[in-house]
Amino acid sequence: MTHEQPALALRGLAKRFDGKVAVAGVDLDVPAGSFYGLLGPNGAGKTTTLSMAVGLLRPDAGGAWVLGHDVWADPVRAKQLLGVMPDGVRLFDRLNGAELLAYHGLLRGMDPAVVDQRAAELLDVLALGDAGRTLVVDYSAGMKKKIGLACALLHGPRLLVLDEPFEAVDPVSAALIRDILHRYVVGGGTVVFSSHVMEVVERLCSHVAILADGTIKRVGTLTEVRGERSLEDVFVEVVGGRTATGEELAWLSR
Amino acid sequence: MAVPVTAPEVPASPTTDADRVRPVSARHFVKLKLRVMGNNFRGQGWRIAMFVGGVIAGLWFAVLGFFLLAAPGLAGEPTYALMVSAFGGGLLVLGWLLLPLVFFGVDETLDPARFALLPLSRRTLVTGLFAAALVSVPAVAALVATGGLVLTAGALGGPAAALVAAVGVVAGMLVCVAASRAMTSAFATMLRSRRVRDLAAVLLAVAAALFGPLQIAVMAALQDADWTRLTGVARVVGWTPFGAPWTMGVDVAEGRAWAVPVKLLVTAATIGALLWWWSRSLESAMVGAASSGPAKQRGGPVGGAVTQLFPGALGWARRGRFGALMARECRYWWRDARRRANLITIAVIGLFVPLMVNVGGTNLPSDSGLDLSTVGSSPVLVSVSLVFVGVLASITLANQFGFDGSAYAANVVAGVPGRLELRARMAAFSVYVVPMLAVVAIVLGVVLGRPAWLGVMAGALLASYGAGLAINAFVSVLGAYSLPETSNPFAMNTGAGVAKGFLTLLSMIASAVAALPMVIAAALLGDAWLWLALPFGLAYGLGAALLGAYLAGDVLDRRTPELLTAVTPRR
Repeated sequence: MTHEQPALALRGLAKRFDGKVAVAGVDLDVPAGSFYGLLGPNGAGKTTTLSMAVGLLRPDAGGAWVLGHDVWADPVRAKQLLGVMPDGVRLFDRLNGAELLAYHGLLRGMDPAVVDQRAAELLDVLALGDAGRTLVVDYSAGMKKKIGLACALLHGPRLLVLDEPFEAVDPVSAALIRDILHRYVVGGGTVVFSSHVMEVVERLCSHVAILADGTIKRVGTLTEVRGERSLEDVFVEVVGGRTATGEELAWLSR
Repeated sequence: MAVPVTAPEVPASPTTDADRVRPVSARHFVKLKLRVMGNNFRGQGWRIAMFVGGVIAGLWFAVLGFFLLAAPGLAGEPTYALMVSAFGGGLLVLGWLLLPLVFFGVDETLDPARFALLPLSRRTLVTGLFAAALVSVPAVAALVATGGLVLTAGALGGPAAALVAAVGVVAGMLVCVAASRAMTSAFATMLRSRRVRDLAAVLLAVAAALFGPLQIAVMAALQDADWTRLTGVARVVGWTPFGAPWTMGVDVAEGRAWAVPVKLLVTAATIGALLWWWSRSLESAMVGAASSGPAKQRGGPVGGAVTQLFPGALGWARRGRFGALMARECRYWWRDARRRANLITIAVIGLFVPLMVNVGGTNLPSDSGLDLSTVGSSPVLVSVSLVFVGVLASITLANQFGFDGSAYAANVVAGVPGRLELRARMAAFSVYVVPMLAVVAIVLGVVLGRPAWLGVMAGALLASYGAGLAINAFVSVLGAYSLPETSNPFAMNTGAGVAKGFLTLLSMIASAVAALPMVIAAALLGDAWLWLALPFGLAYGLGAALLGAYLAGDVLDRRTPELLTAVTPRR
């Protein structure tokens, strides 16, 4: 594989909803083999950006390329290389874990024997084997994240795009997910994920981009973006939030 | 997909002054509903257009109903006044009771589960939701239509009678809305529990079965033209909750003013009982929403993941993309309460409507001593009724992507070709529906004593079902809408329920037109058609369905992301 080719390239992605600008022209290059964190406050446009990058939402302008394949012009090839875990999107949750994995695997055109073997391994590693025939709709939030990750990993994609993979996940499951993702990157894969949890990003990522109000505010390797300060300080400064409250909420302390 | 939506204000009183809690009244619920409806229209031109279309259709029916009900008054025919008000009003209540279960669903703009955390008493909640339910196009249309009764009463009995009739009409409207709410809510709760599911099916079947004898009785009565007997029936109906509110005005006009307080009491008791019933099931709906999933699966031989996905009936399917899509759809038709409710509806209606039409028809001329089957039913009539069944079955797929909701994203990410997607969905649905249609044809053939018509019947069913699949493939791709993520299988979204019913009606008409050749052939070809109908119907249906999937699949490929956005519920 060519290391010069970015794993994911976004050019001028823009989207408006009902006249409101959600994403206003995002350019981004995710180098192959990187662990890329997309940071931003709530409503910054992270989910919208990632949805447009993976072909779930048609952009008003701009384009996205996965390892050189245009997501919107050549979706078949691009989607083969891509594993996605969207946030706020339901799974086909009236299947049990094994059925869901089998569905995803066969949908990707995989060999049934390979699907069986990988599904069994993934369920085992992610500690979902005990759930047995419980339907995914009855899973806990953390279990749902884990089965979603398993679905995205099953076909061995070159690029993994994860929207808020650590949201609502307990520390044990989070550690497990981190381990798996780390191994995946070491093995030559590329991960892009969105988050607003600084600790996770600081611990995992090689590259960081900070997104606010629909535009990229800071981008680069972790050390470039962070400099001498903590990532949280940089983030709050860039986003321009207020850190202390004044007199307004006096009634809280009664 | 993060569409920013300004969260509607919660109707709890503002807590600027924590010591004084302002009471929540029904007015807040009505305002909230109007606000949610308004917000749904924002920036959605087609939604406004559909809503306007719905309003126009509602108005049309309202004016039609108004003049039908006002006819005795306008014509000065006091003989028919009681009959028109008792039967017309009674049919209206029956319609409100049963139609939401079968066709349109109820408008759940205000989902009861959303109120679970608010400090509202059950009484406040039920009256509030009830008031909000009254603010809808069908309710207003029905109110306008029944206004005709006020005119009748006024023309026959003067202003006093008109005033009483007006009170009765408003009370009758309350009965209608309360009945539809209580009924759907109770059925939703029942269908959610897997154990009671079969019981619900039986109940529905029994309710539908009652139509048959009822219709025959009505037909026989009409045949005899025994108006005095009918007046007697109308008088009895007038004392039941179905007729009580509507007949008050006529009672005054005919000099039975004493009946008014009694009928008011009957009506009030009915509304009270219905609201109580509703509040009972409402509570379980609110609590159940938190974890309403079906119970755990039975244990059993656990094979590999792929073996688990494929149900036993699909053991033959190839373990590929088509097979996976089909297997998943098959599982969903059974496991998703919303889809299951649709299947049950098809089974019940599909069996009883043709029986009603054909058997009811044979009994009609029985007094005149004519040969039953030749007069009452014919290949043409059978074809027409079965075309209806085929269309009804296929209409279930009109919003097939709406059933999936945002989960459809998985197929988008995997890049499933549109044609494959549509063909697999048709095939999976047919796994359930085609055997049902076969049963319908066989039962009808046996009951009518006409086994020779089996070919005609099966042919009409297959042709209309296939043509319907093709039409609905387009409808499902172009006219998809999101369903609320509640556990109520009858829930509809966004307060545009009428418009969606309208769209459904339109696609039903289109499907029926597409199946028209079967009826024409049955009329023109005579006996030869008895042999030709099955092969022709099969080829026609299969061809139409495949062509539909082929053409609509192309459209689907071009607007996959838009479809996903359309079926993703806004939060």
